[in-house]
Amino acid sequence: MPCLDALASNDAAARDILGDTRAKLVFRVQGGPAITIGIADGAVTVTRGAAAGAAVILHFFSDRHLNASFAGKRWALPLLAWGGWRIGLLTRFTRLTDRLKAVMDGSAEVLATAEGRALHARLSLIAAGLGLGPLARGDSSAQAALSLAPPGLAVFAIRGAHHATVWFDHGSRDCNAGWGPPPREPDVEISFIDSAVAFAALRGEIDTIAAIGAGQIRVSGLIPLADGVNMAMERLSDYLQT
Amino acid sequence: MSTPDPRYRRSLELFTRAAQVIPCGIYGHTSPVANLPGEFPYYAGRASGSRYWDVDGNEYIDYLCGYGPVVLGHQHPEVEAAAARQQAAMLCVNHPGEIMVELAEHLVGMIDFAAWSVFGKNGSDMTTWALQVAREHTGRRKILKVTDAYHGIDPWCTPGHAGLLPEDRMHIHDFAWNDLDGFERLLRAHRNDVAAVIMTPFHHPAFKASQLPAAGFWPHIEAACRREGIVLILDDIRAGFRLDLGGSHRTFGFEPDIICLCKALANGHPLSAALGRADLRVAASRVFLTGSYWNSPPAMAAALACLKVMQREDTPATLRARGEALMQGLVAAGDRHGYRLIPSGPPAVPFVTFADDGNMRRQQRFCAAVTRRGAVFHPHHNWFLSSAHTPEDIAATLLMADAALTELRAEGL
Repeated sequence: MPCLDALASNDAAARDILGDTRAKLVFRVQGGPAITIGIADGAVTVTRGAAAGAAVILHFFSDRHLNASFAGKRWALPLLAWGGWRIGLLTRFTRLTDRLKAVMDGSAEVLATAEGRALHARLSLIAAGLGLGPLARGDSSAQAALSLAPPGLAVFAIRGAHHATVWFDHGSRDCNAGWGPPPREPDVEISFIDSAVAFAALRGEIDTIAAIGAGQIRVSGLIPLADGVNMAMERLSDYLQT
Repeated sequence: MSTPDPRYRRSLELFTRAAQVIPCGIYGHTSPVANLPGEFPYYAGRASGSRYWDVDGNEYIDYLCGYGPVVLGHQHPEVEAAAARQQAAMLCVNHPGEIMVELAEHLVGMIDFAAWSVFGKNGSDMTTWALQVAREHTGRRKILKVTDAYHGIDPWCTPGHAGLLPEDRMHIHDFAWNDLDGFERLLRAHRNDVAAVIMTPFHHPAFKASQLPAAGFWPHIEAACRREGIVLILDDIRAGFRLDLGGSHRTFGFEPDIICLCKALANGHPLSAALGRADLRVAASRVFLTGSYWNSPPAMAAALACLKVMQREDTPATLRARGEALMQGLVAAGDRHGYRLIPSGPPAVPFVTFADDGNMRRQQRFCAAVTRRGAVFHPHHNWFLSSAHTPEDIAATLLMADAALTELRAEGL
């Protein structure tokens, strides 16, 4: 969901879909978390919690229900708790998430252009970075990997025209993660020289050790932290592909 | 490495070629990733005494010594002559040479508790085989080791993450260095199932300061192993012969059952050894051990020559003196510039870190700045002295360190 923000900011096709829509949609899981997606002026904001005045409220009965719904299972349609008549808005939002899926999955159409590949890399990095918080809180394999790493703030960045930065504060109480400027000087920074290198690295298509030696990927600071965070990050693909 | 350093132009050219045909370009502990990519040379051209030259012709005083093997200095004439004589006679034949017997006899005479010796090529050959011997001897499964300790690249101990199964480490259990409570907890949890405890004589993890054993730590470990019938394996691959020619256990006041040696054994020639107590001899004979080049005589001749030089010259005393001078000089240089430098490990196998440098950036900039001036300091791995390091080398290095600290201060680090 947080990637919708980056998608709208960086993808003309997504902005075309949004048009002049102004609305809020709430996603809530019964007995669990809720988020609000705000759409206005061709931009998307994602905030935790259920904001008042939502045009649409989508209710999921469990985490499993939500996961199945986002995996495209027909039996797992959410309960439209409010706003079922907002067909136009729901259609736009479905088109937006379809576009996000195409970018995140790296569909042939998206990867056919340099812009599409850069967008795919950017959103993959953001998803991987933001996914670290939930992994650190709830995935035993990621927790095991992180337990070997020293605490500190790790930053992953793409340099160049399609720059993007995500950060993860390992050892902080809530395993904080975010994208954009980090809250303090990082303890380790892993930066890709451009989006093409990031694209290849995030898809596991290059020898990252050789890329580091050649200066295409730069690692500075507390290397064991980068190692542990990278191991934890690898768990993300298991969830996204489920 | 935003802009390639022209000092390393040839290194980077070679690396670019290597990356086309060799996974990682350079893999393992010499990979640029383990150091500071772009800030250190990648390829070496030649070496002599305490120095080596990279492929771009830059000269360095060598405080890595090939990551340990070079204890007498590069290309030591007596060692090289002994190896060359053997190589002229035979390199790889169908049988061991007489030199293997001579070397085993010599080593058994040097290591006080040992009754036998075997040979391999690398440290991992010996540590993994020693575990098998311990399991064969005890009929038990469990191995206790120290967290973050390096014992080689086999699946039970590699610091790498890839290509492993959970089953590879099902019977490997860690405790923290100097944590006797943690050690005792593991003994209680696996009573009568612990085959071996494998440890280095002092703790020298990568990316951290080295740690010496606390008072009573080694005697406690040794006593527990004796009490429980556990084989105590000393992984002396990194420190062996640098602290004491009879094995590093003598420095720290205990006695293992098996000692694994490599690195300084043959001054850079490929050879490792394991030596053990008489009561492990039968188990040692049962565990299969071999390799295509393991009987090759030149490395054994180099080892015998190296051992004799070290005995004649009391090499550990020289290493200790040079190491102390280097450490004391670095601490003093730090004080002059307002930095608290913290020496760790024995002076012969030293390491220096900065206080208040949790993310290691100051350490990394300092080591890169000294290396650029002509003395190789690794930012993440302990350093090594060789007997070829002269007082003049140490003095020259301290001048470079002083200039590097001036640079750090100017950068505001």
